[in-house]
Amino acid sequence: MKHVLARIGQAAVVLFVAFAATFVLLQALPGDALMIKFENPELGLSVEQIAALRETYGVDIPLPQQFWHTLSGFLAGDFGYSIQSGTPVTQMLAEAAPQTITLALTAFLLAVLIAVSLAFLSSLTRFAWLRGFLRGLPGVFVSVPVFWLGIVLIQVFSFQLKVVPVIGADPLQGLILPVLTLAVPISAPLAQILVRSIDEVELAPFVSVVRAKGASRRRVLWNNVAKNAILPTVTIAGVLLGELIGGAVVTETVFGRTGIGRLTEQAVSAQDTPVLQAIVVLSALAFVLTNLAVDLLYPVLDPRLRRLSRGNARPAPAATPVLEGAAA
Amino acid sequence: MSRITRTLAAATAALATAALLAACAGTAAPEAGGGADSATPVSGGTLTYLEYQAFTNLYPPQAGFYPNGAVVGNVAARLTYQNPESLEIEPWIADSWEVNADATEYTFTLRDGVTFSDGTPVDAAAVAKNFDVYGLGNKELALTISEAINNYASSEVVDASTVKFHFSAPAPGFLQATSTINSGILSPATLDLPLEKFGAGNAAAIIGAGPFVISDEKLGTELTFTARDDYDWAPPSLTHQGRAYLDKIHLIVTPEDSVRIGGLTSGQADYVRYVQAFDEAAVESAGFTLYGPQTRGVNNSLNLRFTNPLLSDLRVRQALVAGVNAQEIVDTLFTSNYPVATSSLSSTALGYKDESEHLAFDPKKSAKLLDAAGWTEGADGIREKDGTRLSLDVYEAKPQPLSKQTLELVSQQLKAIGVELNVKAADAGSYAEDIKDPLKTPLYHSMVGRADLDVIKSQFHTKNRNVLLSNDTKLDALLETVASEPDPAKRLDADAAVQDYLAEQAYVIPLFEEPQVYGAADYVKGVEFESVGRPVFYDVWLNK
Repeated sequence: MKHVLARIGQAAVVLFVAFAATFVLLQALPGDALMIKFENPELGLSVEQIAALRETYGVDIPLPQQFWHTLSGFLAGDFGYSIQSGTPVTQMLAEAAPQTITLALTAFLLAVLIAVSLAFLSSLTRFAWLRGFLRGLPGVFVSVPVFWLGIVLIQVFSFQLKVVPVIGADPLQGLILPVLTLAVPISAPLAQILVRSIDEVELAPFVSVVRAKGASRRRVLWNNVAKNAILPTVTIAGVLLGELIGGAVVTETVFGRTGIGRLTEQAVSAQDTPVLQAIVVLSALAFVLTNLAVDLLYPVLDPRLRRLSRGNARPAPAATPVLEGAAA
Repeated sequence: MSRITRTLAAATAALATAALLAACAGTAAPEAGGGADSATPVSGGTLTYLEYQAFTNLYPPQAGFYPNGAVVGNVAARLTYQNPESLEIEPWIADSWEVNADATEYTFTLRDGVTFSDGTPVDAAAVAKNFDVYGLGNKELALTISEAINNYASSEVVDASTVKFHFSAPAPGFLQATSTINSGILSPATLDLPLEKFGAGNAAAIIGAGPFVISDEKLGTELTFTARDDYDWAPPSLTHQGRAYLDKIHLIVTPEDSVRIGGLTSGQADYVRYVQAFDEAAVESAGFTLYGPQTRGVNNSLNLRFTNPLLSDLRVRQALVAGVNAQEIVDTLFTSNYPVATSSLSSTALGYKDESEHLAFDPKKSAKLLDAAGWTEGADGIREKDGTRLSLDVYEAKPQPLSKQTLELVSQQLKAIGVELNVKAADAGSYAEDIKDPLKTPLYHSMVGRADLDVIKSQFHTKNRNVLLSNDTKLDALLETVASEPDPAKRLDADAAVQDYLAEQAYVIPLFEEPQVYGAADYVKGVEFESVGRPVFYDVWLNK
């Protein structure tokens, strides 16, 4: 319990630091959103008119006061208004977040599926050339630009083969190609870690024991190796969240989807401070929560850690064989 | 109509004819609505229209931004209608009007039975309120003054269908201003909203008297327009009267060029805006129609900020003008929809005067001028004078088509005459800050479209866009004459004088006449544009 409370405290500190750092950095940028908005030559405003508008919007409030105002707003769940469009930021996030969460979760599941299939197939295959090919794929996936992949998928599957529409698609159709686009680069690090873990576990002494008892290759992989290889993969899942957010920016823009990524892209180009501030804090919150979840999941997946957190036991000696495997 | 009205109308028509004659070299005019098609227009259907960017604000004076203009223009009716072919000003919400001799008083008689989409009448009080806001602004609500309206003083409601506007100085451009999207008439309640409420997420609350209303909005990605069944006040000169042919328009924001073009050619969309020059061939070869309506204003140009010491010498500016080969730019990067500029104004703009004698590409002349000005070639081929290199910066202008590529080609051309041009990219904040400084941005890439003589004042006057960051009082005085000379013929002369002055002083390097390029499927009929190339959906119908 104490452990959990400490973790939550840590999370709050991380969030505050993220908030403060974002505030300072956004203020330090040259220009500001009001200037970008009203000095847009297409509006044709004169210098005097812009000065009057700046006064109306009260840009000259001292920074500490602005900081306090923004922070107290955030604590009360009020993220202010977008400077570019005047829309409440909470409304923008409420429309965008569900779209991005659906996209990211579906893409993540597909990525796991791709990664697991690649890792298992490459471990099971008898042909060295096929194994080499499958193991080389993640390297290719990771270097494919999301932007390019999105456009190629649209051109091939939507415009040439006409399998799914991109424009005027229903919510389900609208997910297919973006999910594929986003899943490919995320599956790559997952597959790499999984392949490496499988290799390591396969060399462990207990695997030789199980093999010696006559278990088939496939059986060993499923029952013994996989369970042990899963832990490092869960660790990387937390880190992959960043990849998901980055990928969503590009994917949503290419596909013209509503979402946090698209919102980010627009807010950055207009230097829309309130929107950016909210997105950064929200992303930080997502990171903190994911890592918290991963931390709490460890003991569930690895009994050694379960014992560790229960008592005041010392870390298990490095030489201890992996128990679950040996039990088979 | 009074005699003055008729005189003005005749003068406008004469100007328009001149402009059209001059425009012969340009692209074919967009096909006229319904009537030009052999088939009879049919009602019904939904048009899928792809837009390049999301709209930012629907307050009409800020509708100069193209994505804003397409929305405001189809939702809000105007007092008058500018015929996109003749550029003549015709009745719309106003049946008729009178202008006093020095153009300081305008009296409009309104058509009966016109209503906003919320049911309230479009009466004199509503119209008066609109122009009070557009002419004077509302500081408290942050509603800005329209750049199309000069010298506005006050309004006067004479009776329910008569409204009079007073000006502190002659405002000959006002009649045309009442026809522009920037003067879209909105309901009085809408004009009580602060500027933020004209932004994204609130589009359906913007109430006008146009043929369409916004019925649905998906924040930042999609808008649905629905035709008003009771719309019955189209400009009388149109063959089509009554409600719009289309039932609905889905406007979908598709920022990625290849997706927008592919969406059209694969049949997922009917009509798209912003076909890049490099995509034009793909659209045409797939059997789709390209439309390239001109923006009829100040050309796509490089403005030479002469308050930068390097550009203070007339000879240096003349050398730059002669060193840029606009024909090569158009041939390399653009298409026949982008005619080479022959003045600071477009040849399809009102008041255009040919200045090509000042704009000829002549690198030998450049070299001579730079030699005479004391700039001699340094070790790396870039000219120097007293230890200073002739090195200038220019920022990529995101709103201009292919700005980066254009500037890079200009940079190569200028290198040949010993001038270094550094093409820089910047984030929006740095850009907004640096373009206001002649030392950081000695060359500024921009254009502006509006089919009235006042457009040149909008671009160059120190109290408006001031793209030159000028301190030239003579230029200001010439521009003020354009905006305040009530005599149409003298006003035309004043406009020519400005173009002469800009060319003689080598303040501007005009590059090309900028169009808006659209692509549409052949079953999309009645495609039309208002006078500066924004789409008008009223006459559009689907032949399928």
